[in-house]
Amino acid sequence: MGFMLTTLIFIVIGMIACLCTRICCNKGPSANLFHLTLVTTATVCCWMMWAIVYLAQMNPLIVPILSEGE
Amino acid sequence: MAEHGGGGGCCPPMDLFRSEPMHLVQVIIPIESARLTVSYLGDIGLIQFKDLNAEKSPFQRTYAGQIKRCGELARKLRFFKDQMSKAGVTPSAKFEAKTDFNLDDLEVNLGDLEAELTEINANSEKLQRGYNELVEYKLVLQKAGEFFKAAERSAAAQQRELSSHQAGEESLETPLLKDQESTADQGKQVKLGFLTGLVPKGKAMAFERILFRATRGNVFLRQASLEEAVVDPNSGEKVNRSLLHFYLPCLGECFDIKYPFDVEKNVFAVFFSGERAKSKILKICEAFGANRYSFAEDLCKQAQMITEVSGRLSELKTTIDTGLLHRGNLLETIGKQYEQWNDVVRKEKSIYHTLNMLSIDVTKKCLVGEGWSPVFATQQYKEETPRQITIFCIVDVMFQITICINLMHIKIFCFKIQYALQQATIDSKSQVGAIFQVLHTKELPPTYFRTNKFTDSFQTIVDAYGVAKYQEANPGVYTIVTFPFLFAVMFGDWGHGICILLATLYLIFREKKYSSQKLGDIMEMTFGGRYVILLMSLFSIYTGLIYNEFFSVPFELFSPSAYACRDAACSEATTIGLIKVRDTYPFGVDPAWHGSRSELPFLNSLKMKMSILLGVAQMNLGIILSFFNALHFRNAVNIWFQFIPQMIFLNGLFGYLSLLIIVKWCTGSKADLYHVMIYMFLSPTDDLGENQLFPNQKTIQTHQGESYTALEGTEDSLQVEAGHDPHDHEGFEFSEVFVHQLIHTIEFVLGAVSNTASYLRLWALSLAHSELSTVFYEKVLLLAWGYNNVIILIVGIIVFIFATVGVLLVMETLSAFLHALRLHWVEFQNKFYEGDGYKFAPFSFALLGTEEE
Repeated sequence: MGFMLTTLIFIVIGMIACLCTRICCNKGPSANLFHLTLVTTATVCCWMMWAIVYLAQMNPLIVPILSEGE
Repeated sequence: MAEHGGGGGCCPPMDLFRSEPMHLVQVIIPIESARLTVSYLGDIGLIQFKDLNAEKSPFQRTYAGQIKRCGELARKLRFFKDQMSKAGVTPSAKFEAKTDFNLDDLEVNLGDLEAELTEINANSEKLQRGYNELVEYKLVLQKAGEFFKAAERSAAAQQRELSSHQAGEESLETPLLKDQESTADQGKQVKLGFLTGLVPKGKAMAFERILFRATRGNVFLRQASLEEAVVDPNSGEKVNRSLLHFYLPCLGECFDIKYPFDVEKNVFAVFFSGERAKSKILKICEAFGANRYSFAEDLCKQAQMITEVSGRLSELKTTIDTGLLHRGNLLETIGKQYEQWNDVVRKEKSIYHTLNMLSIDVTKKCLVGEGWSPVFATQQYKEETPRQITIFCIVDVMFQITICINLMHIKIFCFKIQYALQQATIDSKSQVGAIFQVLHTKELPPTYFRTNKFTDSFQTIVDAYGVAKYQEANPGVYTIVTFPFLFAVMFGDWGHGICILLATLYLIFREKKYSSQKLGDIMEMTFGGRYVILLMSLFSIYTGLIYNEFFSVPFELFSPSAYACRDAACSEATTIGLIKVRDTYPFGVDPAWHGSRSELPFLNSLKMKMSILLGVAQMNLGIILSFFNALHFRNAVNIWFQFIPQMIFLNGLFGYLSLLIIVKWCTGSKADLYHVMIYMFLSPTDDLGENQLFPNQKTIQTHQGESYTALEGTEDSLQVEAGHDPHDHEGFEFSEVFVHQLIHTIEFVLGAVSNTASYLRLWALSLAHSELSTVFYEKVLLLAWGYNNVIILIVGIIVFIFATVGVLLVMETLSAFLHALRLHWVEFQNKFYEGDGYKFAPFSFALLGTEEE
């Protein structure tokens, strides 16, 4: 799927989540900023973890060596 | 030292990021409305009173007498509770009847009830004792009757025998005498006395021996044990008694001696002759505490006694029963009102404690109180129009009102405290109103975060380490996401995540029921943290999908594996390995890795590097938060001499390492990063050769090394400059600041390496979890499956379930929780958090319940 494409998907999902929180619980600007921070942090964390695992497998230096009996 | 209340100005305000603005308020209340005012303020729960009478002892304070009264009432209520629990009556649940309780009426009422209850208790005790005595007496009568009947029968038999030989008349008493000679000489017949009673079984042997020795063997003792236990009249305990019978024909009475509790007893009869023997026996009976009961020889008298005693027994029983019923009713009525009374007494006590904290004016006509309160409670919310506010102020301001006007949500918190004061003045019909004003002070206010049930548990986690200083950045905001995330990195298994999710969803659906119940310690902690566990489980499912582990089993969920055999026969699969034929597996770890021989080298490398990357990211966030703190408190010194050196240091070293990691992954180079990092310092001018990751790497590293050493030097000299700067602050000492900065520098330098290495625990725990999971799956479940036997399979499944729940779901969860917590408290928070504030503890009736428990 490609690194860039999936990163884009993550960004889109993040923005949709922000919009949903804004629609569902709109409780004033300070509360909105707080919810936005939470959603953004969660999206960034999840994206970072996925990106790290993806990048590590893009150009592997070692390959799976099956064990006997498989 | 920075002055608080700086005000950011750089960024818009965010909920929970900084403490609510607080100010010191002063209220002057007239004496007559004092109690009511404090009561209304307690309802709102937004003022933390300062103790203005701190130097006075509790007895010197104004309202000490009232507190004593409340203490007395509380004692009475405790007595009622005790009695209720003894009788098995549970107090009914509190219902919200807001009747105003007059303390005087309550006092009188409780006093009456207490007197009545104690009287009933004393009476029933007396009755019970009498009843027990009668029961014992009845048993004595029955047993002794048996003795004598048996004796009579043998006497009659002997009599018939004797009369067949001679025609003399003998009294029926003689059959107990085996001596035939006495029948010849009636004049020399010795009168026998007997005593009947009960003695404990354990002492029966000793009793017999002492009797024998004391009377030189001139007594006859008959013992029999009672089948059923008897309640001891003295101690009220059930014991097995044996009847002690002493036959005293000259006196014709039985004595029963009382014996202490919980010893099995024997019935016995002692027959003796002579006054001296009798007195000896009486004394021995008293010493052994045996109960004695009088016993009539005459048969019809015996029967009469038995019926009489039975009659009295049944009478007493009914009396006792009615007494108990009456007591039960009384306790029930108490139980209905118990919770309410308890509440009222607790409230009153707290009101008087608070009143004791206010200082009384010289004229003794008013009380002056000082306290911290949040600014929003005393002002109107800035965004609403005054017109709307005045309307709703009049309607109801004791509670928050959320009103939808023109599709906008408006919260109104206007003038809560002032309104409460007004209301109290009106209700207490006082002539003078209360005065309210705001004081200006340089004291540090308490920290107050307005949390809801979701954010409260996360804030508790942060507060457990240290309460935020007034207006400093609250790490709780980010902890809400990063804590469950780091937990999940260490836990990563979507099967286990689903199990925990189900458990916590159950807790959340039963929220209402559990929050009103009283739970045990562990259950309370788990229930309190249900939202934390919910987020932990959701993130665990995500990381489980990334690590591709479902109870340690990988799945090809997103696309076929990227690896395949080099040739059709898969001949080299176990020697050289597979080859990457397709695009990278799009989401997570490729399923081909699981079970392979090179799984661990690959995963270890991946997870270690991931730990470093995540750690550097979180530490950078911490340093950026310290920048925002410095901005808020307008501390330019901190920005130039703390924030910037910290950023340069951390990113120059570990940020650069992170960059190298990412470049190595992207390019697939075989450079050895250890070598690169170490030799960057040892010999920066050397040629990188095969370790080169990008062009001009060498020059960049040399510059870094230079700036690094320069940084050390400049930091020291910059500290001296920092010392000269803020002279006008109160209590400022140059040496103090200098030492503080020096310690800070050293701590940061040493800490940077150790903190980054500390993040490797993310790798360690994740490895442990996956290995444990694999072991349980392969060595328990698959092994059991391999036997093709249903029983072994069932046993295997049960062992697997217990092992998974016990080790992985409970122990590993706690372990990962603890380590994620440590990473937050130490590695994240030591970059910016001071945490030496104190929490806002308002005088509030709602918080009373939790305090007392």
